[in-house]
Amino acid sequence: MATEARVLKLNEVAPRTIGRSLLLTLPIALWSFLMFSHSGGTSRSGKIASVLTAVFMIVLFFMMMRTWNTYRWRRWFFVALGLLFPVGFIHNVMVMRGTMGIPIEEMIAGRTPFCYLPIPLLILPAAFTKTLVFPGSILPGGGMSEAGMAAMAGLWLAITIVVGKGWCSYACFFGGIEEGMAWVPKRAKLRKIDPRWRYLPWAVLLAMVLLSLALFEPAYCMWLCPFKAVSEYVAARNTVGLIQNGIFVVLFAGLVVVLPLLTKKRTQCSFFCPFGAFQSIFNKTSVFDVKIDQTRCSPCVLCQNACPTMSLTKESIARGETLMSCMKCGACVDVCPKHAAVWHIKGTEVAKSPERARLMFLYAAWGMAIMFGGSVIAQGVATILHVFV
Amino acid sequence: MKPRAKLGYTAAGVTVFAALLVPFLLFGVFTKGFASLGLHVDEVYSGGPKVRTVQTGAYSIDVHRPVFPHLLQTEKPFVQLDWRPVSALPSHVSDLVDVDGHGQPDIRVSFDVPKDPKTPLRVSVEPLNPRYEAMRNVGKEKFSRLIVRVDDAILVRVPLAHP
Repeated sequence: MATEARVLKLNEVAPRTIGRSLLLTLPIALWSFLMFSHSGGTSRSGKIASVLTAVFMIVLFFMMMRTWNTYRWRRWFFVALGLLFPVGFIHNVMVMRGTMGIPIEEMIAGRTPFCYLPIPLLILPAAFTKTLVFPGSILPGGGMSEAGMAAMAGLWLAITIVVGKGWCSYACFFGGIEEGMAWVPKRAKLRKIDPRWRYLPWAVLLAMVLLSLALFEPAYCMWLCPFKAVSEYVAARNTVGLIQNGIFVVLFAGLVVVLPLLTKKRTQCSFFCPFGAFQSIFNKTSVFDVKIDQTRCSPCVLCQNACPTMSLTKESIARGETLMSCMKCGACVDVCPKHAAVWHIKGTEVAKSPERARLMFLYAAWGMAIMFGGSVIAQGVATILHVFV
Repeated sequence: MKPRAKLGYTAAGVTVFAALLVPFLLFGVFTKGFASLGLHVDEVYSGGPKVRTVQTGAYSIDVHRPVFPHLLQTEKPFVQLDWRPVSALPSHVSDLVDVDGHGQPDIRVSFDVPKDPKTPLRVSVEPLNPRYEAMRNVGKEKFSRLIVRVDDAILVRVPLAHP
């Protein structure tokens, strides 16, 4: 009965009181102050950007608390992250080297910026030969290499321990672009998607890991990364370079722009991203997950339709769980009219205290979002203020 | 509360606590841990370790250890030579270089040093030892066959004909 009462409380349409919502937001406000008090450098635009970003993140968390919704508000953060990352990054690249193409000199000097996407590709060559097959610096190397590969690897590991596959919803600075695209249409034009496409990221991961080991180069970065189109790419010195850049543009246009507009899904993440597939493994180690309460589920499959990564199937709903690829965005929880889709802590009874599970997860995930994504957003805002205002 | 549930809540609490520690402790610990693994960047990119320096008047030539690409890598084996500092180089360089350190010149390397650092560089290499490949007016073709300016040095990579 007590369980029922707690769950029923969730079903109430009435929002949380402002006072209680503020109280729950207080730790995040303090965290934001800690994270942004020293960021932004000495420039006025940097300082203003830090304040704006801190306010943005606090307001979104407050709204999550007040309305009980997660996905609806997280999406604002995530889309802002996806759109502002290229702004700050491309501006920096243009200022430092005047082109988005990576000159071979910069690769030789170890000044290629390192993102997290090639991490799974580096593991086998590093394990067998102690060699990192990436033209960057392990320690800070100056220029666009910024903090170096060790810092990005350290940050990735630390955040992954906390949020697991939640990385793809609260930290990835690329996913927001397609989430934004998927947000645009009211209804999906392309509704029937063969579920077997979900295995493709695993195939891409396997192929890229083996190719990277065989060719001793970050094969995904060299040939398949759609986000090269909005960050930096191999300078086209010859026909091969032109082909590589053509592939980047076609994949970006197809997987990140057109298909999300047609399907309302994060198609690059769901059907292509090898890093996302790799990150799914950490769903097994994460203590937080999303469950379907069988006693409440109709099943109407609204959650299945709402899931941006097709991480729910009729079979998984019947089992009361999401698939391994669930990135804990909260879309299914928000959309479920019977509140059968719930946040859950492994080992505990399903739907016993879903709001407690949501709060604990959100404090951890939003803390990481502020620390990592927040700094990226602040950099993008600072660039806009610096360049246009 | 069942022991499993207690364990779950404890793990969740530890995770939230770990999140607090990420910027102040965990990030630094993992970064240092990664840096101390003894990994190195592939020599096709870095050019391999420097083995000798040849002093030539006001400037010097650093000779690197030959780099042998891995099995299916698309690059040829090569050796990297660095001329530095650029400010001390004459407008035209034509040097005989003893690459393998046996006391005899192995190659003659010739290139112009334009005043504008953005002007593309071109190099010609005449092999005096059949171990090295000839290069004629080469720019930035491949990692194993190029001339580039990096900071205060001009780097030339000469492919090996007979590794």
